[in-house]
Amino acid sequence: MPEKIIADKAAKDSFSSSSAKQKILAFSSLIILLIVFSFASPNFFQSNNLIAIMLATAVNGVLAIGVTFIIITGGIDLSVGTMMTFTAVMAAQFVANWHMPVMVGVLVAIMTGMVCGFLSGVMVAKLKIPPFIATLGMMMLTKGLSLIIAQSKPIYFTESPTFALIAMGSIFSFIESFKIPNAVLIFFALAIVASIILNKTVFGRYTFAIGSNEEAVRLSGVNTDRWKIGVYAFSGAICGIAGIIIASRLNSAQPALGPGYELDAIAAVVIGGTSLSGGEGTILGTVIGAFIMSVLTNGLRILSVPQEWQIVVTGVIIIFAVYVDMLRRKRSK
Amino acid sequence: MAEPLISVRNLNKSFPGVHALKDVHFDLYPGEVHTLVGENGAGKSTLMKVLAGVYQKDSGEILINGKPVEIPNPRAAQRLGISIIHQELNLMNHLTAAQNIFIGREPKKYLGLFLDEKQLNSKTQDLFGLLKMDIDPRVKIGELTIAKQQMTEIVKALSYNAKVLIMDEPTAALNEIEIEELFGIIRHLRSQGVGIIYISHRMDELFRISDRITVMRDGQYIDTLKVSDTNLDHVISLMVGRKIYESAPQIDLAVNRPVVLKVNGLNQGKTLKNVSFEARKGEILGFAGLMGAGRTETARAVFGADPIDSGEILVNGNKVTIRHPSDAVRHGIGYLSEDRKRYGLAVGMDIETNIALASMQSFTGFGGFINIKATRKAGTDMIQKLSIRTPSLSQKAKYLSGGNQQKVVVAKWLIRNCDILFFDEPTRGIDVGAKQEIYKLLNELAEAGKTVIMISSELPEILRMSHRIVVMCEGRVTGELLASEATQEKIMKLATQRESMVKTAQERNQYA
Amino acid sequence: MTVLIVAMMLVAVTTVAVAQTVYIPLISKGFQHQFWQAVKEGAMQAAKDYKVTITFEGPESEAMVDKQIDMLSAALAKKPAALGFAALDSKAAIPYLKQAQAAKIPVIAFDSGVDSDIPLTTCATDNIAAAALAADMMAKLIGGEGEVAVIVHDQTSRTGIDRRDGFVNRIKEKYPKIKIVSVQYGGGDHLKSTDLAKAIIQANPNLKGFFGANEGSAIGVLNAVKEMGKIGKITVIGYDSGAQQIAAIRSGEMAGAITQNPVGIGYKTVESAVKALKGEKLPKFTDTGFYFYDKSNIDDPKIKAVLYQ
Repeated sequence: MPEKIIADKAAKDSFSSSSAKQKILAFSSLIILLIVFSFASPNFFQSNNLIAIMLATAVNGVLAIGVTFIIITGGIDLSVGTMMTFTAVMAAQFVANWHMPVMVGVLVAIMTGMVCGFLSGVMVAKLKIPPFIATLGMMMLTKGLSLIIAQSKPIYFTESPTFALIAMGSIFSFIESFKIPNAVLIFFALAIVASIILNKTVFGRYTFAIGSNEEAVRLSGVNTDRWKIGVYAFSGAICGIAGIIIASRLNSAQPALGPGYELDAIAAVVIGGTSLSGGEGTILGTVIGAFIMSVLTNGLRILSVPQEWQIVVTGVIIIFAVYVDMLRRKRSK
Repeated sequence: MAEPLISVRNLNKSFPGVHALKDVHFDLYPGEVHTLVGENGAGKSTLMKVLAGVYQKDSGEILINGKPVEIPNPRAAQRLGISIIHQELNLMNHLTAAQNIFIGREPKKYLGLFLDEKQLNSKTQDLFGLLKMDIDPRVKIGELTIAKQQMTEIVKALSYNAKVLIMDEPTAALNEIEIEELFGIIRHLRSQGVGIIYISHRMDELFRISDRITVMRDGQYIDTLKVSDTNLDHVISLMVGRKIYESAPQIDLAVNRPVVLKVNGLNQGKTLKNVSFEARKGEILGFAGLMGAGRTETARAVFGADPIDSGEILVNGNKVTIRHPSDAVRHGIGYLSEDRKRYGLAVGMDIETNIALASMQSFTGFGGFINIKATRKAGTDMIQKLSIRTPSLSQKAKYLSGGNQQKVVVAKWLIRNCDILFFDEPTRGIDVGAKQEIYKLLNELAEAGKTVIMISSELPEILRMSHRIVVMCEGRVTGELLASEATQEKIMKLATQRESMVKTAQERNQYA
Repeated sequence: MTVLIVAMMLVAVTTVAVAQTVYIPLISKGFQHQFWQAVKEGAMQAAKDYKVTITFEGPESEAMVDKQIDMLSAALAKKPAALGFAALDSKAAIPYLKQAQAAKIPVIAFDSGVDSDIPLTTCATDNIAAAALAADMMAKLIGGEGEVAVIVHDQTSRTGIDRRDGFVNRIKEKYPKIKIVSVQYGGGDHLKSTDLAKAIIQANPNLKGFFGANEGSAIGVLNAVKEMGKIGKITVIGYDSGAQQIAAIRSGEMAGAITQNPVGIGYKTVESAVKALKGEKLPKFTDTGFYFYDKSNIDDPKIKAVLYQ
């Protein structure tokens, strides 16, 4: 009997210390990059540059948080970039063209995203269209609709100056040297909320379960179709938040923007350690993945590395980061 | 006479091209263990899936406690008190044991928005305690042994307050000790009035645990017998219509048969420690041992499927380097894995392709085109030779029953003309009739001069078929026995001869 | 180990680059297109001549407004001596330009420039005058009367607006007998422009001339004219160069085109920056030049120098 208690305690200790070790290791690539760049150039570790990095991460980070949920279920979403633009265009239509209050624009963006996500979810769950194809279709749909509604030109928020404050204003504006833009705060807040949802609610639990073995969940009596649709709708709503942030940042809705952003989001998720085959993943990992990408881009720019080489180096480091993560996970098993 | 828990009358179910259940009858009383037997494709799994709400019946009646019911989905079955543990475990590997058990009914807190992990784990701990299972609820299922995964499935099924428990091939992946534990649980449940439907191919086990046996054949109900009123031969004859019991003919071992395969000092991390053995031409070498003994790992290592740290392999006296299965195949070594769905078959492809898979080169003509005539003939020959039950050569492998799938895998390697064949659990999940055919085949191969190395966890099978038996335990070869001197007890002793003499509390409990 | 080596290399690169030279980053609207590569060439030449260090970067597509802003922000973080900028969206860039102004960093706009007073000069093609020249050539080639149409890349950027207005207004002022039947916007995309042009040709069977206001638009017009079988019946005038337009002009399928001087744009931008740093006053607009070229002068060294493949 006493042996069992000792064995239990040993198991518990190694359990928590290994997960803590894992969290530190996940950071390591990011920390190394920060250190290297700080030494390489005095211009890097300045408060305004660090804030610029965080701002550059915000939009991609928010998109990546939404995509994390979808990837954990074993799916993929190629439409997040253009969906984001579509929600921005819709918000602009309501606020700039129809002169509605800014809050209405925010709600419209989130609702639009949720509806589009819902449609993607229905295609995947009910019509059984593979996620790659379904979301590819959604990508083209939202891309076209953005151009149609905005008539192929940007819609400016000049008459609603408060709109720009959503992303670019700062709640912390009283701390002069550390004026963190709201966009970054929204990103962090969303990350915390998303992490709680993922780990502590039924919705998050089913996200993992469906990704691990959807049939088993279905046979356990859970309506997996409904929950899957929910995941896509949820991610769509988050695209809406990203749409608001980018529209606010640029003080306009740019209808041609969007294609290409989905790959950055998915890259952030994968670098962060989430497996494309589903069943596991963390929001923290995604956030780190997004930061690794933007720190790398910014650092190379600060070092005036020619743009052609920036792209090469980024590709190499992404492969490297994912490989290191795979080794780490294999060793911890 | 107490009322039956379940009564099935005139049940019919068809799938495209297959009339799986024809006017089937079935009864289950409370507090009985009722076993369902039949060859593969007899309809046992289908009948159970209808009761569990996975499939819907086409016609017929199902009565629960005398009242007719409809079972449209798994949730409905759960509500009626029917729980099923599938042959292929339905678990989510990335989730913990507790999370798996309570999926769909997680305890919640804070206005029902958040999961109560603490409650979840403690409730699970209670359930495990009730059945005296030593499993940590917080461990991810994917990290547990198959036996423990299965126990978790059982606990999950029971936690729905099942009155009827259906178990489909529950002992397939368990060793003798674990099987006895399972039977203990079953007996306990039986005493509580739970009705248990048990599906298995392992005849010796059935007779240990069942009260009644129902035989099905080709989707039809044949007969129900009380265990006390019948014996093994009678049941098999009802299932199959034959009473053949194949066994290995005595070969003259005194004659110096050449050593075809010699393995020296194979080491692989913590899994294999200094494994050495030899196999002779024309013999059937049995590999016995408990789960995790390292038999599969040995075979995979020799076959080049996994890398080794050190050791040498000699084929016909010549040292060979095997780093990849293609090297092994070139030297005439073939391997039938135990998980045929994952490693043996391309389940989405048709039978013809699967059979030709390992020998594509011999079927490929000029310019890389496949000689369809040749593959067709080879496929047809094999279907006949092994009695593979399928409507046609172009049937996709995934639609075959487990046993027939296994036969396709055997066919694949036979075509390849390998001289040394590793058979890893060749008859797992295969009905008695097909087993006989496989045994006959193995003997034929040995007689033809091939070397058969058969890994099996079924001791009667090992004893019956092998000329010599190598026993392994925890990665080491613990002993070798000739067929003439081998007994179940001797094998078991060698199979449990662990390296350290200090036994843990766990082991002490097992032997208590 | 590898990380350290990479780090060392990066440090070495920077130290060499930043060693006591004047640093002028140029943020352009794009990066991959041959036009921008030509601008870069000119800039690098000027950097050599004036012994300054430059970097040249731009987003992968001209829709990535936020990425250009990120580049602008990073450039400013390096505390450059001066800055060259071609805005994708002027309004979004203003806060950063104000930052530059406050830090006394001279800003030189190029190509479409920036909609603001902050840049000391804009080095670009006088697109209005250039498009007017195209209008003159078109009038000459179709005999002063008839129907013409125009495909422009967009109606929001400076270049789009100027080229459209330059052409249309010139026609209105000087050639009353020429009627402009349609002006459409194809985003500079070949395929889209082709489809738009075909529709216009279909709707106006008597069309005599067609102007494409940038490379993509011009190729679209050319494709449409070819596919509708109207080569020789419709006079096509394009803008910029690129291999396809050059080939079409040599073969006569296209009457001619207006070329900017992308190399000159790059050169003059860096030159203006250097001048500004010396304290010289700069004109509000620095014309970098344009030419009309056709089969007859396409091989002139002057023309050849500004064409790109």
